[in-house]
Amino acid sequence: MVESINVRALAAQVLAPLLRQHGSLSTHLPAHLAHCPERDRALLQQLCYGTMRELFRLEQLANHFLRKPFKQQDLDIHALLLIGLWQLRSSRIPAHATLNETVDACAALNKPWASKLLNAILRRYQREQKQAEEALAQDPAFQWNHPQWMISKLQPNWPEHWQSILQANDQQAPMTLRVNKRLLTREKALQKLQEADIPAAACQFSDDGIGLDSPCDVSALPGFAEGELSVQDEAAQLAAGLLAAENGQRVLDACAAPGGKLCHLLEQNTHLQDVIAVELEPERGQRIHDNLHRLGLQLGCEVLTADASSQDWWDGQLFDRILIDAPCSGTGVIRRHPDIKLLRRGEDIAALASVQLSILNNLWSMLQPGGRLVYATCSIFGQENERVIERFIKQHPDAIHQPIDAPWGEARPFGRQLFPQPDGHDGFYYAVLDKQVDDKLA
Amino acid sequence: MAKLNILEFPDPRLRTIAEPVEQVDDEIRKIVDDMFETMYDAPGIGLAATQVNVHKRIVTIDISEEGNDPLVMINPEFTVLQDELEEMQEGCLSVPGFYEEVKRPNRILLKALDRDGNPYELEAEGLLAVCIQHELDHLNGKLFVDYLTALKRNRIRGKLEKKHRLESQQA
Repeated sequence: MVESINVRALAAQVLAPLLRQHGSLSTHLPAHLAHCPERDRALLQQLCYGTMRELFRLEQLANHFLRKPFKQQDLDIHALLLIGLWQLRSSRIPAHATLNETVDACAALNKPWASKLLNAILRRYQREQKQAEEALAQDPAFQWNHPQWMISKLQPNWPEHWQSILQANDQQAPMTLRVNKRLLTREKALQKLQEADIPAAACQFSDDGIGLDSPCDVSALPGFAEGELSVQDEAAQLAAGLLAAENGQRVLDACAAPGGKLCHLLEQNTHLQDVIAVELEPERGQRIHDNLHRLGLQLGCEVLTADASSQDWWDGQLFDRILIDAPCSGTGVIRRHPDIKLLRRGEDIAALASVQLSILNNLWSMLQPGGRLVYATCSIFGQENERVIERFIKQHPDAIHQPIDAPWGEARPFGRQLFPQPDGHDGFYYAVLDKQVDDKLA
Repeated sequence: MAKLNILEFPDPRLRTIAEPVEQVDDEIRKIVDDMFETMYDAPGIGLAATQVNVHKRIVTIDISEEGNDPLVMINPEFTVLQDELEEMQEGCLSVPGFYEEVKRPNRILLKALDRDGNPYELEAEGLLAVCIQHELDHLNGKLFVDYLTALKRNRIRGKLEKKHRLESQQA
């Protein structure tokens, strides 16, 4: 016999540790998906991502109806309440199914005492939704569905864009593909997708990009297993072009996992002399290997498990091109990882900026005079982006900032900022620095 | 130990009535070990020998969340202690992916032999009572889908037959 599984209870078990600031959706969800009967996997994903995406609004609603907060050991019941509110408020799941299943989940979590309470609150919400939401309408956390620190930080950063950034963060991201130019043209790839009845169109800014009208499983994509296509956001596809690597050059990709930009680079340049990818975490390094193998690019590249802010892995030979996809707050990809809103703290940003600067400082000494460094993040805070570059340039007279002339994003005093676009690219940042050849400075 | 292949509905071998075990020896214990491995791997909370195409009256069960409370039932029989029926959602490793409500008596008394051939009795209720009855049905060639309406049963049969066709094409 197989015990029946209550999907809402599973979802509550996925979300409860996150409410305790422990782990993330991408660390907790896969194990629970494996436990979940196949017919319910899509629902489990939808419950977890949907609830996380609206978390701040749902928390305000939960507070509105709860007389006292749940104990720390009952955060699974708290998560279940949020999941229940999300289903009633934002999903197309019939209300009676939401109520039955969510209340039953209390028993599945071995907390039958909570059924009455959840039943009462969810029914009260059904009756009083309008009044409750009107009462909360002026509350910024409810209105904008983001943590207060993020709203306060974004407003002065982007007086003209902060509202559209917050709105874009809460929308579902599109699924974007990259065509492997070594194997086929974008036209051919579009044709194959059309033959497979997958509606798609060429991306606006990336020459190798294709946007799908709606996300689908990669196994349904024609040529995916054969390495003709990869999943990669359009903004990330802009890195290879900025790096402008040439035949015979030695290239470093620092903080490379999962290896999307690295693979793109190798797809575009067949005759690079040496390509070295550095990644700190071994499990993430394995994903680089997997991607290289699927695309048949493993011969062109050496993957090191190493720290980009140290030099102990370096053989002393200078690089002609360096790509730094720096560790960052991920605030440009919140729509793909809605738990970032919960897991990031305001004070993280300054700490990240100093890590970013130290990686830049460290790798700059490995760059050949005349060589080029591209700095990238998926953050939308200037503190991690243009201000890091500004500080770096002040300390390094041999660094020449090259303004990026491009139709995407917004030009900044240093580099170019991309904001998350509905149906388009993620939030991203790029800066290009060339190293002076002038021997006066040598 | 070895993981065994699980028969899936509507395989006619699931309709076989199992023979009593005459002597609990090493051969039987080997089957029990293999059944546990198969059950834990699946994962399931109960497995009858019939499901792995061994037509002897052997059942393995573990309803604990941690998977550390294995129960062996050889030549099991039960009597109903309370006539009241309880409805519970059941699923089955031989009917993968389908869950339906089934009504069964909720308190029973089990008599069986353990792994060493020693007889024992066990009063069971709730999930354990349901699970024992579900597995003992297997030994008599019966499945939980037999308790459903013909309409539901045929729908499940159709979907599983389609899945089996696809699997044999891919193999």
